[in-house]
Amino acid sequence: MTWVNDPNPALVVLAAAMLAPVLTIIVGYWEPRRVSLMAIFATALAFGAALWGAAQAEASWSVSWIEAWNVNFAVTLDGLAAMYALLATGIGLLVVLYSAGYMPLHRAHAGQRSVDDVRFYGFLLLFMASMVGLVLAQDLLLLFVFWDMTAIASYFLIGFDREDEESRESALMALLVTGISAIGVLIGAVILWHEYRTFSLPLIFEQMESTTPVLWAVGLILAGALAKSAQFPLHFWLPRAMAAPTPVSSYLHSAAMVAAGVFLIGRIYPMVALDSRLQDALVVIGGASMVVGGVVALTRDVFKQVLAYSTISQYGYVVVLFGLGGTYGIGGAMFYVIAHALAKSALFMTAGSITEATGEKGLAGVGGLRDRMPLLAFGSGLAAMSVMALPLSIGFFKDELFFAAAAEAGRPMQVFAVIGATLSFAYIGRLWAGWFLGGEKAQLKPVPRLLVWPVVALGLMAIIGGIVPGPFKGVAEGAASVSYTAPIELSLAYHLDTRPENVMALIVYALGVTVVASQNLWRVPLRAVVATGQVIGPLRIYAAVLRGANALSDAIHRFEVRDLRSRIATILAPAGLLVAMAVIVTPTEGAFVIGTVGKDDLPLVLVLSAAAVSALVVTFPRDHLRLALTLSIVGFSLSVVYAFLGAPDVALVAVLIETLFAVVFFGMLVLMPRSILRYETSLRPERRRAARDSVLATIAGLMAFLVAWGTLSRASESTTVIRRQIEQTPLAHGYDIVTVILADFRGFDTMGEITVVAIAFLGIISLIRAGRLR
Amino acid sequence: MTTVMTQMVARLLFLPSLLIAVGVMIKGYVDVGDGFSAGVIASLGVALQLMVFGAHELERLPMLRYVPAASFLGVFIALLTAFVPAIRGQALFTHWPPAGEEVIHFGTLEIITAVAFDVGVFLVVFGFGVGVIGAVARAEARMFKAEESRESVGRIDGRNGGVT
Repeated sequence: MTWVNDPNPALVVLAAAMLAPVLTIIVGYWEPRRVSLMAIFATALAFGAALWGAAQAEASWSVSWIEAWNVNFAVTLDGLAAMYALLATGIGLLVVLYSAGYMPLHRAHAGQRSVDDVRFYGFLLLFMASMVGLVLAQDLLLLFVFWDMTAIASYFLIGFDREDEESRESALMALLVTGISAIGVLIGAVILWHEYRTFSLPLIFEQMESTTPVLWAVGLILAGALAKSAQFPLHFWLPRAMAAPTPVSSYLHSAAMVAAGVFLIGRIYPMVALDSRLQDALVVIGGASMVVGGVVALTRDVFKQVLAYSTISQYGYVVVLFGLGGTYGIGGAMFYVIAHALAKSALFMTAGSITEATGEKGLAGVGGLRDRMPLLAFGSGLAAMSVMALPLSIGFFKDELFFAAAAEAGRPMQVFAVIGATLSFAYIGRLWAGWFLGGEKAQLKPVPRLLVWPVVALGLMAIIGGIVPGPFKGVAEGAASVSYTAPIELSLAYHLDTRPENVMALIVYALGVTVVASQNLWRVPLRAVVATGQVIGPLRIYAAVLRGANALSDAIHRFEVRDLRSRIATILAPAGLLVAMAVIVTPTEGAFVIGTVGKDDLPLVLVLSAAAVSALVVTFPRDHLRLALTLSIVGFSLSVVYAFLGAPDVALVAVLIETLFAVVFFGMLVLMPRSILRYETSLRPERRRAARDSVLATIAGLMAFLVAWGTLSRASESTTVIRRQIEQTPLAHGYDIVTVILADFRGFDTMGEITVVAIAFLGIISLIRAGRLR
Repeated sequence: MTTVMTQMVARLLFLPSLLIAVGVMIKGYVDVGDGFSAGVIASLGVALQLMVFGAHELERLPMLRYVPAASFLGVFIALLTAFVPAIRGQALFTHWPPAGEEVIHFGTLEIITAVAFDVGVFLVVFGFGVGVIGAVARAEARMFKAEESRESVGRIDGRNGGVT
């Protein structure tokens, strides 16, 4: 078998990542205590596959998925995919290791059991798998599926502490903001399909032109990407998402969820480059996020909030870099994502470890931990160096590239870049200094080694990247070349001269130290400014929209469930109106034919009149038992009609269903409290309601009549279909055409119907079990 | 208000109703009826037992406990017959044997994948019927029990299903 000897790297990476959540959930189901071990093993496997795959030549794999729409399940392991797959699985591995130490402590606080770990690792690895699928996807529809899978997994991860209301609200907010904006991605994909009749990105890139629909499509996809990357003004979900357990924050906000947004920008970058307006928009939005995130981060006290706003700010840089474009811009963006992922995940983990050791969540309660937790101070110090862009760390080069790209764009951009870099220097410096310098404040509990070593590993990686940037550079170049559609070479080295990048870096260090040292001067006024901003900020709009939508939904719901009449009205009124619209636009000539009634039809006419009479009788009884009985009389007389028309199958089903319904109906009536039934029987309809109900009933009845008449008048069309089906029935080895139609010709419809039955069944059972029918 | 007569008839009809259901299902391709009607017939057979003997009949016939879950097995079987052809590169719902080929007989039973699909439909409907009727019957049994305990205070009319 060729695929064993010569495996396709794209498939191997995808399969290894997909296997991880499956294996973990299966093992966790049998042995919840072993789930963390299994998760570590499975993630290591996925990381190993990604490492191996990244070393192979670019590979693709594709199979037709929905032929009618030209949709393929197409994956390619190119440089861009390799970089993000390495990040998702590599950082994922360290996060899973950290979780093995963290989750037992978290369980103890949150009062969870070891089975909750299965949920945790299951969704974490599902996220990793969807992320790997997302970066490999070459087909916009496939990409959208994985995109939504990440949103769903993130919902369950952010809302992991499901007993906690705040955590549920935060999860919903993240889902709504990233999920609704994801519809932009879907609409964009559909517009592009409409233009080029394909969802395949390489094919679209081949034939794309800068037309208005295409630009709209790209803009919509960018909007989805920017919301996912928590860019201003849709950034507010990210700080709230800190309600998640720390490993989740560490993963989602460094290498996974937020990174998915900038990944998508990189994936569709050839289309973004079509129009400079799109690039300018990226610069503006990224720049705004950079400043807003940076300034707010300076005023926060809670560790995870500082880091959350810093993530907004730092992804702002990446977006600005994409907007600036060119070798430095795109190469810098990719390199920045790598450097940021290493440092930020380490800092989030540090925050979690310090909270576990001291019980404190804010800077006010901690300080001077350098002697008590030296290893953690060392590891997180290296990571902080990287964010602050100090020499000998990988972060130095990310800022060097940023400054170089800004220098190409001109003096105002240079000033802006210096401001942005100063902000990140200042807030991370303030955070790290607040943790480890100064006097000791809190009592310490020992923490497991697994809460320290992953931080050290990440910190060391950040320093290795600063001394030997080659491998990281190679990965970033590979990714940038895909987005740029031309080879990109980055030259990273330390130069001891006065080139603009170096001068800018020196200004940043000087300014940054000044800002941190003078924090007592600016802290209070800046907090006031930020507080004002939050009063009028987008979070308010979100809350107002959510409240409004909720109120509208409640109003409709209240009307619908007020009583049975309203409920039926909400079905009949729209149905009648829709049919009326259809009747109006349909040409009436020949649509309504009045047939003849012969002597042979007499029995049929008799049975039909029986059915009609019983239908009329239904309107009279007031008590429920008689109502149910008369209703089944209608059904039974109709089944006699089917029998007379020579449809034994339909007649059989009608009789059976009528019987079953009668049984269930009576059973349900027994369950209703008798006093309520008696009360309902004694009610007389209000005059106003009676008028409304008769109008609705007349419209709906008339429309049903017209539809039935129209269908019967066009018997000729349906007979040709039926004749063909009758001819084909022996070919399908059947003699009973109705069964053959159900199981073979229209099997898809039957499949849908039985699925509906199964779902309705679940609903009924849970309603009755919960006792809500009584 | 069950009498010896109704009890006897219900007992006598139980097995035949299930047999007829199976018959209607497997001969669905040849004669009137299909998996759907078979499912309803079988459910009605069970419903009759529950109506006459009460909900504890569910405990007396332990096999009935698995029937509701079988409806999901039914969806699974139906999905299998739908999607296995896709793995072999054919359109969904391509049944076997294909048109024009000989059908394998087992006695008078014909082996066609479409019948397997119909079995899936049967299981869904049977599970639905037994599940819903069983749930209603159990709820009623709980209610009567609660009323019985209150009965020392005052008699309540129509305990055995009298409505209004």
